[in-house]
Amino acid sequence: PQSLLQAYAKFSGAPLTVNTINNSWRALKDVPVLVSEDVVISQPAKILNFLRKQKYNADYELSAKQGADTLAYIALLEEKLLPAVLHTFWVEAENYCSVTKPWFASRIAFPLSLYLPGKMSREVLNRILLTRGGPPLYSLSEVEAQIYRDAKECLNLLSKRLGTSQFFFGDTPTTLDAFVFGFLAPIYKVCFPRVQLQEHLRQLPNLCRFCDDILSCYFRLTVSGHSPAGQDTADANLQKLTQLVNKESNLIEKMDDNLRKSPQHPPRKLTTLKLAAGGEGSSPLNRLSP
Amino acid sequence: AAEPWPENAALYQQLKEEQILLSDNASSLAVQAFLQMCNLPVRVVCRANAEYMSPSGKVPFIHVGNQVVSELGPIVQFVKAKGHSLSDGLDEVQKAEMKAYMELVNNMLLTAELYLQWCDDVTVEEITHPRYGSPYPWPLNRILSYQKQWEVRRKMKAIGWAGKTLDQVLEDVDQCCQALSQRLGTQPYFFNKQPTELDALVFGHLFTILTTQLITDELSEKVKNYSNLTAFCRRIEQQYFEGHDKDSSATVAARSAKRSLLR
Repeated sequence: PQSLLQAYAKFSGAPLTVNTINNSWRALKDVPVLVSEDVVISQPAKILNFLRKQKYNADYELSAKQGADTLAYIALLEEKLLPAVLHTFWVEAENYCSVTKPWFASRIAFPLSLYLPGKMSREVLNRILLTRGGPPLYSLSEVEAQIYRDAKECLNLLSKRLGTSQFFFGDTPTTLDAFVFGFLAPIYKVCFPRVQLQEHLRQLPNLCRFCDDILSCYFRLTVSGHSPAGQDTADANLQKLTQLVNKESNLIEKMDDNLRKSPQHPPRKLTTLKLAAGGEGSSPLNRLSP
Repeated sequence: AAEPWPENAALYQQLKEEQILLSDNASSLAVQAFLQMCNLPVRVVCRANAEYMSPSGKVPFIHVGNQVVSELGPIVQFVKAKGHSLSDGLDEVQKAEMKAYMELVNNMLLTAELYLQWCDDVTVEEITHPRYGSPYPWPLNRILSYQKQWEVRRKMKAIGWAGKTLDQVLEDVDQCCQALSQRLGTQPYFFNKQPTELDALVFGHLFTILTTQLITDELSEKVKNYSNLTAFCRRIEQQYFEGHDKDSSATVAARSAKRSLLR
């Protein structure tokens, strides 16, 4: 959800600064949280609606039919790809123990770091089993096989839909691009021990190119960027990792000037929208040991 | 899979008059529409324990030859293996689009139907509980329907719908209908001239919503706002369901659903 929102914000030209806030129980449940002029909004879909109403709309130039297509493809992503992505991050034992849990735990204060990763892992497993685990699939391994099959099919469908164009609806990025990027980027960039989704993704060169394009165009680091959280000088890889270990982030927010020239971008001088994320206010180089 | 379609293929669902609920009726009608569009004859058999007979626990399921297949997705694939398919004429991009829209319908419309009938307390008390357990004696009927309710609510909680209010759910339905309406435009079917499984699925859900009487009419009002969708339903009904005297005709199902939900 984090990278999705940032991608969307970049596409639509909304000025966002990423803040990390001090950790608290409630905050972790609700991040990412958008704070703007005392209005607090917590779920990704609602945040997107809010941004649209404020006229930061990346979908301005889409036709009605394309808007409908966007909704349909998002449903496809959530239904087919999301279970497998969640599984890769949180349930797959090797991945979880060697990658997800240490990061997560290093970002939040002791003793929550002992409890919360386990809780999130259990919740994800619960969700997968409840929504996908009915008969005739009776064991966890069968469910896992099915969700990975579905995810691979979904990736194939996305690849066919993208074809050779740069973004899903032509030359400018839209909400759908943000969603797809939000789902694909963690699979693509994070180095897990068990990587069947990543291998499959690598076989679809147009999707890889799509991720790379967005990463290089919109998440480029330059010297003039700064964030209250301090300079993150790690490479884009690490940036993606920290963003997407479930709402933990410590990023530098960079707006690309080209986006500001988009037609619907109104000359706003209102308060900047702050995207708050849970985590310590320190760079990854100063990790607290759990 | 090389055998031809037998004459005695049967589709099983719950009892039409007293027991079947909105979401199951929608799924069953979708499958019936799909089979009609493929020109494959099937007779509808109503059994109180259809849910338990089904291999996946969901209705409807079809019994063809010596094979049992449940739910629209697997049924479409099964029918394809027998050599009948509605989506062969589509190119790859269109197929991807079709799958995406089918997921949208399942994600939004079906979940909204389930929410309405199991998580909205008024509807649960007055319609769902009496209907769901109606073939069984007390106390079994109450136990079964509470069990099912608990199961559905757990699922809703896992996907995050438990916190939604009825208004939010109705708004999601509206958004979904708007997307479908925009996609359909002025065409007769979603992929212009030929109906596909997407048309069957959309028809199943929308027709059921339009013709089932619930506590309030808000759900059907949302669909009625889009005239091309109601015209779409009427067109499919006329083309594939009227003129048949079989029990499986949608109009009969609709009339009986209306009648019995009035109690």
